[in-house]
Amino acid sequence: MSMEPNYGPDAGDWFCARCGERLEQRKVQAFYMNSAFDVLLPRCPSCGLTLVPKSLAEGKMAEVEALLEDK
Amino acid sequence: MDQSELHAVEAHCTQEAMPRCRAVCPLQMDVRAFMEHIAAGRARDARKLLERHLPLPAILIAVCDHPCENACLRRDLGGALAVGALERHVLATTPPQTRLIPRPPRQQRLAVLGAGLAGLVVAWELSRKGFPVDVLHEGDARDALRRSYPDIPETALDAEWTDFGKTPVTFLSSQYDAALIGRLRQEYAAVFVDMDAAATLLPLQRDDVDAATLHVEGNVCCGGWTDETPTGARLASASRQAGEGRTAAITLFRLMTGASLAASREQENDRRVLHTPLDGVASVARVLPAAAEYDADEAAREAGRCLRCECLQCVRECAFLERHKEFPRTYARKIYNNAAIVKGTHTANALALGCALCGQCTEICPEGFSMADLCLHARQDMVERGYMPQSAHEFALEDMAQASGPESAVSRPDPATGRCARLFFPGCQLAAARGPQVLRVWRFLRERLDGGVGIMLSCCGVPAFWAGNTPLFDEHAARLRADWESLGKPELIVACASCLDALARALPDARLRSLWEYLDDLLPEAAPVADAPVVSIQDPCGARHQEGWRAAVRSLVRKCGLRGEDPRRSGTETACCGYGGLVWNAQPDMADVMAARRASDLPHTALCSCIMCRDRLARQGKESLHLLDLLPMTAETSAAGAASRAPVAGLSARRAGRVALRRDVLAEYGETPPPPEAAALHLIIADEVLARMEDRFILRQDVQEAVEGIERTGQKFLEKESGHFVGSWRPRHVTFWVEYAISDVGCVIYDAWCHRMWLPGAMQPGKEI
Repeated sequence: MSMEPNYGPDAGDWFCARCGERLEQRKVQAFYMNSAFDVLLPRCPSCGLTLVPKSLAEGKMAEVEALLEDK
Repeated sequence: MDQSELHAVEAHCTQEAMPRCRAVCPLQMDVRAFMEHIAAGRARDARKLLERHLPLPAILIAVCDHPCENACLRRDLGGALAVGALERHVLATTPPQTRLIPRPPRQQRLAVLGAGLAGLVVAWELSRKGFPVDVLHEGDARDALRRSYPDIPETALDAEWTDFGKTPVTFLSSQYDAALIGRLRQEYAAVFVDMDAAATLLPLQRDDVDAATLHVEGNVCCGGWTDETPTGARLASASRQAGEGRTAAITLFRLMTGASLAASREQENDRRVLHTPLDGVASVARVLPAAAEYDADEAAREAGRCLRCECLQCVRECAFLERHKEFPRTYARKIYNNAAIVKGTHTANALALGCALCGQCTEICPEGFSMADLCLHARQDMVERGYMPQSAHEFALEDMAQASGPESAVSRPDPATGRCARLFFPGCQLAAARGPQVLRVWRFLRERLDGGVGIMLSCCGVPAFWAGNTPLFDEHAARLRADWESLGKPELIVACASCLDALARALPDARLRSLWEYLDDLLPEAAPVADAPVVSIQDPCGARHQEGWRAAVRSLVRKCGLRGEDPRRSGTETACCGYGGLVWNAQPDMADVMAARRASDLPHTALCSCIMCRDRLARQGKESLHLLDLLPMTAETSAAGAASRAPVAGLSARRAGRVALRRDVLAEYGETPPPPEAAALHLIIADEVLARMEDRFILRQDVQEAVEGIERTGQKFLEKESGHFVGSWRPRHVTFWVEYAISDVGCVIYDAWCHRMWLPGAMQPGKEI
């Protein structure tokens, strides 16, 4: 099962509200039901806070969740 | 479910059974497919099919008595299909489509005694399997056929005899004497006696032999008797003789190859009939050929009259059955296989979870097939063995917990008298959506009924039942029982049809009666109204078997000055709105199709006695009333038109509605619970944003909790130009994301989304699961 690797923010120029840093696409791991996926997501380079864009949550992520739940 | 249980379930669906034409044919000729080919102009395919199904096709087609035509459902709708004439057309106009493949010769030889039709079929079938066959006959080899079928054309005989010449069949002129069979039994591996051409040699009638095998004894089979008409005339049925020839050929083959004569032959005699609905089928007259026989165009038109018999009565009515593109028999098989998967994808989960468990198919099906039982058992198995998708019913079960939890539930005797002869159980969805009306109807019941009327605000537990979560249902039932018993086991007055069903399971010893039957008893008969407005009565699927409920609803509608009209598929055959079986949670799009479909069945304003029917139809834009909108003690407005367009309470409002009703109920006892804590942040959510959120099962309360949590930790993102923040919150199995902005008047919510995946160390705050 593969996820498209790179998901930017849906729209706009996003910053970490606490650190003030502009978000960068960084590799993070997503887990669900004993499976793990590497994915590039907008992340604060300073504190590591990561954004899950709506298009990802409701698109590929929902699809993979449903697939795993049927395993 | 084991294999035999599966077969028992499958047997209730006849969609794969034979159409009547094929079922009555002793050779099981697939007439329906034959007609389909001709109608589509595929004469060669039609011929191929004939050759596959019929032995001695030229002879058989010439002499067949076509029982299929008698059985044809078109018979009274323009005349039976002209099967015989179409077969002749195909045979005359297309070249042979199958090549005779020579088989390696076998050692065992077969004797056929008598060249009647059955005997020749045996010779035809077994010579094609490589067995040398000697056909012993008296006089000319063709005489027996000419005697039984005087009209048989010589061309047909010539054609088949030419074919016999290419197979190991030898015709031997012989004298029939008493010792002949005995001799042949010694000389040949097996013997067939044709009871038309050589009847004198074997004094057996049809009833004397096992019809399934036509085995006489040892290596002898017989068949091909003639029939006797009521007037005593001798009549040869070609289809029957040929059918017996084939049955005997199978037995003889098994005899010679040492296989069991009787095992696994059910299919040969499987004559279950495919149910075929004929409503709405127009009569179309038989196409008559301009000349002696059909031409291609005439044949196609005649074949086009075939009804292509099929059942699918349930599938045509149910959006769920239709969506999966097959029919209950194959669904049963898929669900059975789904349960057997150990590693891999459970591809039929969607099937088990998409059924509203409403029981309509069982009512419509001539055999009473129950998808509800099938899917419910599948769900129970999924829960028990741990492969129920987490997300399928999670929201509904949380909703159930809220409805039965401390913030919504209450269980008390009559506030004035402290007595409790009866207990009003409005149901958690009516309580959620129509709190003020629930309160008013309860007051009315208290005024008019003796012995005290208490109230129980709670879920009935049906969501757990529908989810297949038996332990949860049982645990909930135990709590209901404790409350009910502490009130002295009162009779329950129930306002929801699904609650009636669930309470009957949870409290089998309780007396239950619907609210409508009570109200019908209490409200006076009204004078008939001239030109009364008409409403379409939507029976809830839960009231399918609640006759009292349905009659009381109709009576109350009349008493309210309206004329109730039954739409199609009403009463026991009513259709679900998509709430049943938690489809609204597991497959919201499926549930919406169900609601839209039901809405389109109702020509007038829908009159519902179930709040979920009302709200789900109304969400489809259908003008819909709940019975409480009409009754004098609960009508909010005198204009039924306004009530029928009243907006539907969303999921967040429903939860808040339950909390508010509990406060109002407690106020009847002079109690004022402390007001809920004021929210730290005031949320401003536009209606369309809230509606979008709720489509994803995100509640106002979830967003409130999320924004407050995000603001406390400060862990959020900022889009500089718009000033919007985005942050996440994971209170349970779900991560909620909210896009918002803070202003002087409060927190404006722009969007919210959620997912179940977990991104550890990257997301905040860390109430990890």
